[in-house]
Amino acid sequence: MKKSNKVLIVIPAYNEEENIGKVLKELKSDVSFADILVINDCSKDKTAEIVKKAGVKCINNVFNMRYAMAIQTGIKYAALNDYDYVIQFDADGQHIAKEAKKLYEHALKTDADIVIGSRYLKDMGYPCPVFRRIGTKIFEFLIKLFCHKHIADPLSGFQCLNRQVILHYSKMGNYPEYPDANLVIEMLMRGYKIEEVPVRMRLREAGESMHGGIIKPIKYMIDMFYSIFFIIIQGPKRKER
Amino acid sequence: MNRIYFIIIALLCLLYIVRAVRKNSLSIKESFWWFVASVAMLILAIFPYSIDSIAKIFGVDYPPSLFFVFCIIFLVLINFRSSRRIAIQNEKITELAQHIAILEEKVNDK
Repeated sequence: MKKSNKVLIVIPAYNEEENIGKVLKELKSDVSFADILVINDCSKDKTAEIVKKAGVKCINNVFNMRYAMAIQTGIKYAALNDYDYVIQFDADGQHIAKEAKKLYEHALKTDADIVIGSRYLKDMGYPCPVFRRIGTKIFEFLIKLFCHKHIADPLSGFQCLNRQVILHYSKMGNYPEYPDANLVIEMLMRGYKIEEVPVRMRLREAGESMHGGIIKPIKYMIDMFYSIFFIIIQGPKRKER
Repeated sequence: MNRIYFIIIALLCLLYIVRAVRKNSLSIKESFWWFVASVAMLILAIFPYSIDSIAKIFGVDYPPSLFFVFCIIFLVLINFRSSRRIAIQNEKITELAQHIAILEEKVNDK
């Protein structure tokens, strides 16, 4: 590794008292070169106390802003404090700390702007619910169709962003509510380079997923198609340097 | 001939919504129902007699009244949604202002 880059791991957490302690411990031992920042999205349980006890920096949102805005808070923090890389990491224990290092090293080696930790690039033995798999396939197809790029896991929240992307996201007034395939398409259309690295992931251990139930996934798919439709009719945009 | 006027109006509505989203004056999320409404308008402008067959399904004798009922329901719903949004946002703004005031006091104290 060349001169020391400043790396920030951003962890949005909402009611994750059962998982966050383990996640932080794992990160501290396996990714010791990076700073850790937890965005506590107004949790109603002991998440904030556990983070404080672990001696990790914690930003407490005044009210619940949902996952995407919590991530953006962390990215804004990184932009203000001159971080070179941000690694988005989930608080629910799905993501594995050792794999975060892999993402970061790949970002250093190549000139990719965004490195996505992909569950499906190689068969990493991730047992995935059928509906989620179908959804992923559809988005994979759409990205291939409009951006001529193969992204196997556009729904993965496990990503490493470089300084340019950090600055871009932090200034985005319309950062989407679900920053998944739509954001991947938008960034590809802007000319950012996105690459994938195969990673292992665990199934979540405790707590509630944000995509549970029957109505929510349907609403999610409609929202997603609608916002992809708008991004595509807006056409390619220039990348600001 | 009438039909063409209505098709043009519907298309203008669609264009206006798309333009608002492109200029970031309307978020993609907020635009959804307006977009659906203007697509419905476009469909009705192209196939004006479809409202007759819908009226038959609902057992309405005078089809245009069904059209007005749909319009009113849509407007009331969207209005209610906006009211709710405003109420939630008011609450959040108050919370933010109070939070900032308290923080300011804390900062000045040091």
